[in-house]
Amino acid sequence: MNKPLSDGAGSDISTWQAFCATLKRDLVIAFKRKNDLLNPIMFFLIVVSLFPLGISPDPVELSKVSAGVVWVSALLASMLSLDNLYRADYEDGSLEQLLLSPQPLYFLVLAKNIAHWLISGLPVVVLSPLLAYMLYLPSEAYWTLVLTLMIGTPVLSLFGSIGVALTVGLGSRGLILAVIVLPLSTPVLIIGAKAVTDVMFGLPVGSHFALLGAILALALTMAPLASAAALRISVN
Amino acid sequence: MWLWFSKLGSPRWFYELSNKWLPWLYVAMMVLMSVGLLWALLFVPEDYQQGQTIRIMYVHVPVASISLACFPLMAVAGTITLVWKMKLADMVAKSVAPIGAWFTGLALASGAIWGDQIWGTWWAWDARLTSLLIQFFLFIGVIALRSAIESQDAAAKACAILAIVGAINVPIIKYSVEWWNTLHQPASDFSMDPVAPNPPEVWVPLLIMISAVYVFFVIALILRTRNEILQRERRSQWVIDLVSREKSV
Repeated sequence: MNKPLSDGAGSDISTWQAFCATLKRDLVIAFKRKNDLLNPIMFFLIVVSLFPLGISPDPVELSKVSAGVVWVSALLASMLSLDNLYRADYEDGSLEQLLLSPQPLYFLVLAKNIAHWLISGLPVVVLSPLLAYMLYLPSEAYWTLVLTLMIGTPVLSLFGSIGVALTVGLGSRGLILAVIVLPLSTPVLIIGAKAVTDVMFGLPVGSHFALLGAILALALTMAPLASAAALRISVN
Repeated sequence: MWLWFSKLGSPRWFYELSNKWLPWLYVAMMVLMSVGLLWALLFVPEDYQQGQTIRIMYVHVPVASISLACFPLMAVAGTITLVWKMKLADMVAKSVAPIGAWFTGLALASGAIWGDQIWGTWWAWDARLTSLLIQFFLFIGVIALRSAIESQDAAAKACAILAIVGAINVPIIKYSVEWWNTLHQPASDFSMDPVAPNPPEVWVPLLIMISAVYVFFVIALILRTRNEILQRERRSQWVIDLVSREKSV
């Protein structure tokens, strides 16, 4: 570990320690507010169960759309929970402390994004086989669905974080966040859902995973930088 | 070079310079547009498959090509805003967003009319249509963000970041949808050979139309930017002088 730059009192912790502290703090806060933890999961369950009501209870029809339904619901659930990412910190001033800290903001933002994914993305991934079963997804596609969601939902958190960072200071931000974030998320949705559908037809899916992985790598390296820059603009 | 660069950032300098450019641009647009339109609508031979509907191409292709250029332009202007804090760059970025949204909408509309004739459907979830639609949403997002943030400075920077993120995303979206579903034909080559599938008599008027619509786009961009300059600089002396001079005439 590099020796941290010491440019004043209280800056004598390394970037890694700051990263872990931020991650731990966000997780502790989430677990103390059980509602915030449960709401995205419940939202995901409810949205998925709306589709059979709206389309048809017919197994043949449902199995055709199941991959897309699970993916779109995961996308919406991730977006719904995004507001927690910086909002409370912005309101109580701890976001400013984060910006003032001597550690690189990139890693702190990354820690917050990982915490958001652990809270809102991972439960969706874990629950997805159950919902896929309810939507009659063929069993050979379960693993592909779980794996694409596993790679794809972190990207949703990372991209979404840019949108929240840009809008955190605004009064009415719910819809504008959706307008900004949803178009950015389309490549992940397309590739993720396509991989699952291709498996159902017995097609190879290696290239889909390679592309999803590439997008995740790009998002991991670039998105926190954009979020950090956006936060510095929003908090002034 | 740097002097020129810093001069370019001055809204007043741009306003005065564009005063000189605009008449020439108007003339160029009128000439190109009338030659291009007349040629395309009256003299281009009918396509052996598409018949008269091939003439829609002479509107659709120029409009679509400009709509694709708008997002990178907005991202470049955004980068200049963030790096050099140039006021003019943000004014251009702000002006190009609605124009880009309009051109994207026009490309979708003219494509729908053409598609209705050729594919037998107004809309298909084809790669280029879908990626253009998503690009339209991205423009709407930038415009919405701009209007939601009250502080002009913060809005400029926030939109710059969103434009850059969007511009990185546009090619990813394009390739992912292309690969998802393709119905749209690829762009054809230009060829000098008179018996090629695309002889010069077909593509020369297309090139003229593309340049005509480009000039139109530049004029629209300059006019919007000039409005923006006047609005933002309304308290500075040169704008007050300008307005009082206009009033006295």
